[in-house]
Amino acid sequence: MTKTLALLIAVLLAGSAALAGHHSFAAEYDSTRPVDVTGTLTRVEWTNPHIWFYLDVRDDKGTVTNWGFSAAPPGVLMRRGIQKEVLKVGSVIHVQGFRAKDGSNNASGGTVTFADGRRVFTASSEDAVPQERK
Amino acid sequence: MKRFTSRAILAAAMATVVSTGASIVLSQAPQEQQAPRAIPRMPDGKPDFSGFWTNPAQPGARGAATVFTKSKMAPFVPGGEALFYEPRTGDPAHDEPRAFCKPSGFPSGFFGPYPVQIIQSKDYLVMVTEFQRITRLIPLDGRPHQTGIEPTYYGDSVGHWEGETLIIDSTSFKRWSLDDYYYTDPTQYRMHSDAFHTIERLRFSDGNTISYQMTIDDPKIFARPWSEDFEMKFRPEWAKVGLYEFVCEENNRCPGGNCK
Repeated sequence: MTKTLALLIAVLLAGSAALAGHHSFAAEYDSTRPVDVTGTLTRVEWTNPHIWFYLDVRDDKGTVTNWGFSAAPPGVLMRRGIQKEVLKVGSVIHVQGFRAKDGSNNASGGTVTFADGRRVFTASSEDAVPQERK
Repeated sequence: MKRFTSRAILAAAMATVVSTGASIVLSQAPQEQQAPRAIPRMPDGKPDFSGFWTNPAQPGARGAATVFTKSKMAPFVPGGEALFYEPRTGDPAHDEPRAFCKPSGFPSGFFGPYPVQIIQSKDYLVMVTEFQRITRLIPLDGRPHQTGIEPTYYGDSVGHWEGETLIIDSTSFKRWSLDDYYYTDPTQYRMHSDAFHTIERLRFSDGNTISYQMTIDDPKIFARPWSEDFEMKFRPEWAKVGLYEFVCEENNRCPGGNCK
């Protein structure tokens, strides 16, 4: 388990830092509206142009809302040796990201915290900004 | 509320990312160290670029798309600067065409940090990127450019050898974004004109490194051609998985910021 999580950490970090998205972060997500939720992983879409994973989040009144989080593309993750099975449907995770500009319950993945306290960086590629040299 | 830039988000996330017990370098992706190798050659003795490579990037740069260096650029012709920098309009379809799965174009699509696979024969060099599965078919038999063709996102390319250097000359482009500069400047693009012409020079600087120079010749924008030097690094381990499929339309959930 520890080995798997360590690999996940390395892979998600590598993926997030080593690619560019097919659009800019600013186009789709609002950096002034952070999202910080804990919930049960309900679905993983291992698809292009970015993977998505979904959480059922229960609020103080017991209302359950399903949130969607965008992360790195599958090719990047696969190249680093990670398969979709590392995100286990039914597990409880804590996710921090930034909300979609349209105000829907969608967000860019930021960090994921697992039940044992380990945290991984899952922000999608839009957070990796090309560095222009003068 | 404090306004975060996306770069600050990344930096903060990198700084705080983890964790308990995992002894992992968190600030950068793992870097494969390749064993030295001799420059591979075709049966006729020409260098053989076949294999998996990183995208062209400034030496030592990594982590995001390559963008051209401003100080390398030539002065503008009168009116060139206005043609080069195209303001955003607020219309997502205009401001983020790639978010709607439109083509990146050349060279922008080849500068994203995704693998490039090169397949070489005596008569053709084929360059394929994972990102958007862009395929360039470059004849090496000395033929001239096609004439009377419609301009395209990726242009018409022909190649020839000058000693150890492969020269790729490309023309017939439609006006489109030059690079991913708009990631760094949310107000405007850098565009090339429909007179865009590139010359790429590829040669091995060692068995694991392609020295990749691009010359930009765009007389509607720049007063003279200008060049910038990049590198492509050999990554044979990527052959295990190959280029992963990239069908942008598969699950493009939030085009232009509309997730609904």
